[in-house]
Order: sequence, then C-alpha cells, then structure tokens
Amino acid sequence: MIAKITCYTLSGLEGVPVEVETDVNKGIPAYEMVGLPDTAVKESKERVRSAIKNSGMLFPMHKITVNFAPADIKKEGAIFDLAIAVSLLKASEQLVGADVRDTVFLGELALDGSLRPVNGLLPILISAKGHGYRKFIIPAGNAREARFLGGAEIYPADSLIQVVRQLIGAQPLEALETAEFAVHAGKRSSADLSFVRGQPMARRALEIAVSGGHNLLMVGPPGTGKTMLARCLPTVMPDLTFEEALEITKIHSVAGMLGEEGIITERPFRTPHHTATTVSMCGGGNRSVHPGEISLAHGGVLFLDELPEYKRSTLEALRQPLEDGVITIARSAGVVTYPARFMLCASMNPCPCGNYGSANLTCTCSPAEIRRYRAKVSGPLLDRIDLQVEVDAVAYDDLSSEARAESSASVKERVDDARKIQRNRFEGSALTVNAEMGEREIRGFCKLNAECDAILRAAFEKMKLSARARARIIKVARTIADLDASENIQPKHVYEAVSYRIYDKLG
Amino acid sequence: MEYSSAERALLWLCACTDTEERTRAALLRAAGDPERLFRDWEKFSSAVIKSGEKGVYNSSRAARERQADDFLCELRNKGYFAVTPLSDDYPESLRAISPPPLVLYGSGNRALLKERKFCIVGSRITPPWAEKQGRIVSEKISERFAVVTGLAEGGDSAAIEGALPRGKLICVLPNGLDQCYPAGHASLKKKIEGAGLLLSEYPPAVALKKYHFHARNRILAGLSEGVLVLSAGVRSGTLITADFAAEYGRDVFAFPHNLGASQGAGCNELIKKGAYLCTCAEDILSCYGLECAASVREALTPSEERVLNVLREGGELHAALVAERAGMQVFEAIAALSSLEIKNYAVKSGGNRYAAV
Repeated sequence: MIAKITCYTLSGLEGVPVEVETDVNKGIPAYEMVGLPDTAVKESKERVRSAIKNSGMLFPMHKITVNFAPADIKKEGAIFDLAIAVSLLKASEQLVGADVRDTVFLGELALDGSLRPVNGLLPILISAKGHGYRKFIIPAGNAREARFLGGAEIYPADSLIQVVRQLIGAQPLEALETAEFAVHAGKRSSADLSFVRGQPMARRALEIAVSGGHNLLMVGPPGTGKTMLARCLPTVMPDLTFEEALEITKIHSVAGMLGEEGIITERPFRTPHHTATTVSMCGGGNRSVHPGEISLAHGGVLFLDELPEYKRSTLEALRQPLEDGVITIARSAGVVTYPARFMLCASMNPCPCGNYGSANLTCTCSPAEIRRYRAKVSGPLLDRIDLQVEVDAVAYDDLSSEARAESSASVKERVDDARKIQRNRFEGSALTVNAEMGEREIRGFCKLNAECDAILRAAFEKMKLSARARARIIKVARTIADLDASENIQPKHVYEAVSYRIYDKLG
Repeated sequence: MEYSSAERALLWLCACTDTEERTRAALLRAAGDPERLFRDWEKFSSAVIKSGEKGVYNSSRAARERQADDFLCELRNKGYFAVTPLSDDYPESLRAISPPPLVLYGSGNRALLKERKFCIVGSRITPPWAEKQGRIVSEKISERFAVVTGLAEGGDSAAIEGALPRGKLICVLPNGLDQCYPAGHASLKKKIEGAGLLLSEYPPAVALKKYHFHARNRILAGLSEGVLVLSAGVRSGTLITADFAAEYGRDVFAFPHNLGASQGAGCNELIKKGAYLCTCAEDILSCYGLECAASVREALTPSEERVLNVLREGGELHAALVAERAGMQVFEAIAALSSLEIKNYAVKSGGNRYAAV
C-alpha cells in the first residue's frame, strides 16, 4: 500500500513542499530511500526504525521504498523523520481511519520515539500557510516560535506515539494558542546611552544616523567608548513591527539561533570578529547555504570594530548588499537570496598608534604608515558611510559635572518623530528612510536654496570633497532638518552635515 | 631656449662628466672660465684630476660637442630649462651661499625666480594642527612671496597646499626632475609643474641619495629671505634648513609647540636660540614691512560670532566645551564651528578640537 505525507524543506527563507511517499509491498525485506536525500536524510532510516519500534508499533518486514518528491531538489536535514515515520505507519496499515491528507508533519525523531525541535520551522510554517495548508504537527520544542503564526491549527507533540494517538483519534493533541506579538516581551538591553559619559558629538552623530538610516563610522583612539556607543544603537532604533520581527525571526530560525522567546523582539546587534571570512560574513557554506552575519544583522546593526583589520575582500563583499539590502548566494546546492538590510556601524583608529590628532599624546606614525592604514578601507566602501565622526577622550573636569547623560529612551522619541516625517515623505514609494534616497528623490525632496548651495560649494573647495560625498552630505542634511522638524534644509543643517565628513578631511 | 656657449660648457661639465662638486670648482678655477675648460678639457682635467679618480676623460672635442648637444636636446624634449650663474634670472641670493649651485634645472613657471621668496618647511611627522595652521600661513605668505619648500609629506605638503592655488610656489627637489620622491606625490608634482616651479640642482635622471637632502636644504635657505619651521623634532632634517638660514643671515621663524611634544621640540629649541616665534602670517609679513591684504571675509551670524569669541578667549577647545561656554546645544555649536572652518575663521585640529585663526 502507498501512503503520501506532506513535509517541507527550506530553500533560503522559503519553504518548499516535499511529498514523502512510502510503498510497503511484498518481497524480500528491504528499506530504500530515493529522491535526492542527503546523508542526514538517509540516516533517518535508522532513527525512524528505532523510533517506531520503541513507540510500541510494528516495523513492517516487507520491501519498503520511501520516495521524496519532487526528486530534483536536494533534501537535507532531519526534518523529514516524522513524515517518514507517519507515512510508513500509514502504508503498513497501522493508522486505520487516520486522515493525513491536509496535514504537514515536521520534526526530527529520537531513537526512543520522542520529537526533537528543528531549525527554520517558522519560515516553513509561513510558506506552508501561504500554500494553503492549515494543519501542522510540529515538535513541542518549536512551539514558542510557532505560536506567532495566526490562522492555523498547530499541534505541538512530544513524541511519535502522541502523534499516532492524535491521528487515530485516541487522544487528541491540544492546538497551540496564538500569542500576541509584544515588543517589550524580551529582556531590556544591557546597553543604554545614559551609561555613556560625555561624547556629545558622537551621541549626536548616532542620533542622526539612526534617524535617517545612515551608516556610521567612528574614528578615535582605543578605549574612548566606540564599542559602548555602538551597542547603544539598537536601543535608540524604532521598535520592531511584527512583520520586521517575523522576518528577522525567520533568518534566526534558519540559522538555529532562536532563543527562549521563540521570536526576536529586539533589533539584532552583530559584531563579527575581524578574522571573519567572506563566507561567514555574507553567508554560504559547503552543502547548504547558511545566512551570514549581514543577514543575521538584518533589521539591526552590523558593527565592525577596527575596520581596517578586516580582510579587504570581506569588506568589499559588503558593498553590494549595502546598496541592495539583499544578498544572493550561489552554491552547488542552489541559489539562495537572504535579506540583508542592516545599518553598518564601523570603528577605527585614526592611525596605527591611535594618537593622531590627540590633545595630550604624541602620534609616532609616519605619514606613509597612516596612509597605508587608511588605505585598507577602500574609497567605495567609505563612500557608502554617510556619517564619519571623531570619538575622542575628552577631559571631563572641564565639563559641568552634573550634566546627566540622556537615556536611550528620550533619544528614541526624537528618532521616532524624525522617522514619522520620513514615512510621510516617502508614502507610496518603496523608501522608508532618507539614506535610501537616490538621485531622483534627492532632487525632489532635498531642495537647496541659493545660500545652502553656496555653502556646499565653499565646503567642496575647502575640503576637497569627492563628488560622491555631495549626495551623502545632502541626505544627512535632510535628516538633520527632519530632526529639527524643519520643512526645508537650512544653512545650519548643511554646515552640520559637512562636519560629519571628517574622513575626507583627514586624508 | 638658447644657451650661451659658456652656459653650454657649464651644463656639459655638470651633467656629462662624472666629476664631484669640489673637482668642478677646482677645474673652473684652473681654467678661468667654462668655455676654456670645455675647449681644453684634456689639459685641465689631467692637471686637476688625479689619475685613478673619477672623471678622467680622454674625450675628443667632437665627442664633447656631441655630448653637450645631446644633453641640451634631452632637456628641451622634457620641457626643462637650466639656470646657471651666467643667466640673467639666476637668483642673486644664491650667490651668497657656498657652494652656489652651478646649474639649477627647472620645470614650470620660470618667472617665479625673480619673485621675492620665503621658505616654509616642516618635518614629515607634523601634528595636524600645525599642518592646518601652516597651510593658512602659506596661503597668506603667497600673496607677497613665492613660497619655497620641498615635496615631502607633512609640513612641506601643508606649505604646498597653501601656496599652490596662487601658483606662487617653488619646490626644490633632492633628485632629478623626472624622478619623484615620495612616489605617492607624483600627481602633486605634476600640479606644481603646471602652476608653480620645480627646481633641482641634479640633472634629470639622477636618483635620490641620502646626502642630497642636506645639499638641497642649503638651496631652500639660500633662495629665501626667511624660513618658517612648522614642526621639527630635536634631530629633524628640517633644522638643517634653519641652520643654513641662520648661517646665510636669513630670518628664522618657528611655530611654538606644546612642551613635551617631541614633534615640536626642535621648533621650541629654535625659538630659544633666537628664532622669531610665529603664530600667524602677519608675524612674518610685518618683519618685512608688508601688510597682509585684508582678506575679504564673509559675514558671521550672531551664533557664529559667539562661538568665535569663545574660541578666541579659550584657545584650542573641544567642541563640547565650546558649546557649553557659548551656552548652546552641541549640535548648534557643531554647525557654527563647521561654518567658521569653511569661512576660514577657525581650524579643526583633530579630536574634535577647534582653534581660532
């Protein structure tokens, strides 16, 4: 007899339906699997055999053929275990009267018949729901991420025997209750701007960067709080919407990095070490294609500490995703596209010894050394970083001591206001923040009056800015004007925007 | 460019023979004038040059003529000119130094040789503030003088950047004109050739030698009425230029530096020995009875005025401090400072600190 069970596999963030067909027939006892299964799938033979036996059911001593359809895509992982077991039981007529047609079975089996959680369950559920499936049986360990999917019957099960009892109607499983998405469900971040002492310039740059979605470079000697500042970035970014959270959760689910909550409620903050390879940064892998750091930072911050220490090729690989917001990776296993819309925050020393431009310490680097150090970061990459700010060790005795640092929450209020202005501006287009504006939008939304134009011209002559810097300055000026709730860009906004191109001036 | 036969003889002596400076002087003394030396080379060279030393040539007159013609042709093809003490526009001030260069090869605006000249130099490791102030001083000095400097990074580059827009810039190289050191300054060199003047006492193809810097520095000082040292460590080569200047009776100016800052110890030492302390271009110009043309400055807004006053009172200040003392938000102060910088009222000196000019 033949049984057909629906299961799913992943291609990037997309779930792809896989039909598990099992034929149990008379003949010399054998157990074959066909349809492009990888090693982990082939190994499920033994897991399924043990799980069935240890659940107190019969493993048929017949000729068994398991086929995965469609046969042309590679199947990987242990997610098919439950579907194979159920189809085997169905084909060997041990599930009399059970209706398995419209149900999707997902999960890995342990030898004792219990169900283990799998990676990437949420994106599969979302895709399957889109394909019209409404009933799912999943491992209880995945229940936390699955509960955010509304409009579906989801049955978490602990073991194969529970699934069997549900199917034959002996002991129905309890359907999962849908949870409401709440941003503050998670723990509060340990970083907060109120812990950052001083650094008024950097704080301001940070606020502008987040408001307009600009990338940020902090230049300063070691130990001046660059990392601390960067960690505060997610705390001033706007709250995640449910759609954003779901998207981020999908990526983390595929990477097997979901925590206790089952859904990501905070914007990610990723700090890959500077020894990171291009593959770990952008995604890829030997057989399957894993999301890289830039995809894990989707919707959040990618922080590159000590930017010039990263491999040149790795940094150059960031250019395309910085522009497009997605990364497409081609491997023998197939072509996969992951979202990668992140805010890039980088930090670096002004020179190899770190003291260039310092008030009290002497820089011992020769001009050639400084040039070599800075040349490690290519111009095209720097061109994609709108804001460049110096972070310095300031002597606080000079500043009034009771000046209390502002908390992230109050900065965030201003950011939210500026974002609202931008949302209204870009209504009806695909853009969300100023940083995404192209040449056409700049011409439309960033009109400069004659005075501002003259300032820009003077700044260009004085600072020898590159032509590409012009658009960046105008976009930043637009964001500063938004923070100021000003309809038009005013001279003071342009002046301030110009001051955030220090790298052009340092060089 | 036509050369007299005496000039041609000098050029041949300097470019086509392997003689040293000292030997050349001895040969010229013996012969009395370059033309005679060229004509009767066999006689004078065998008398002056000891056998076994470099530069003994048993060349025929015809071969010498050919060598000289070839060399002049090469100069012409490369667009270079040569100035000798026999030329009208050989800088008078150079005759006072010892030894005066017998030939100066040049490329660019030859008329600059007749301008008044002032030398601005700094070590390669020059603190950012000194570079910026140096640029501003150089810019103002170039209104009245041709600025003389080298082609190195750091202080020299600051002087170049200041003077290049007016084109009143003379760079003296320690190597042949078609060489470039540092190599990264090739495009800068081309710009100077276009707008200003490049000089060298070495024939075009001569590569850089360490001791050339010392010889070059004597020309820097010799050409100029005064020397401003932007930065110098205690053992900096820049001090050699200052020493030459003092020896030739030129005025020496130096930027004051923080105590303990190693890149400025040489400058402070110069001031201690009696060099003029220089904080702005007016310090130099007034020394020569000149006035700086009142630069047309743009009007300031009230908040910019306020910030500028704070800077003038406080010296070099951190932007956050400026904001506090001016009683404004940090971002307002940033905008005002940025505007002052663009309008040339202030300079940024790294680490978010600013100073009034």
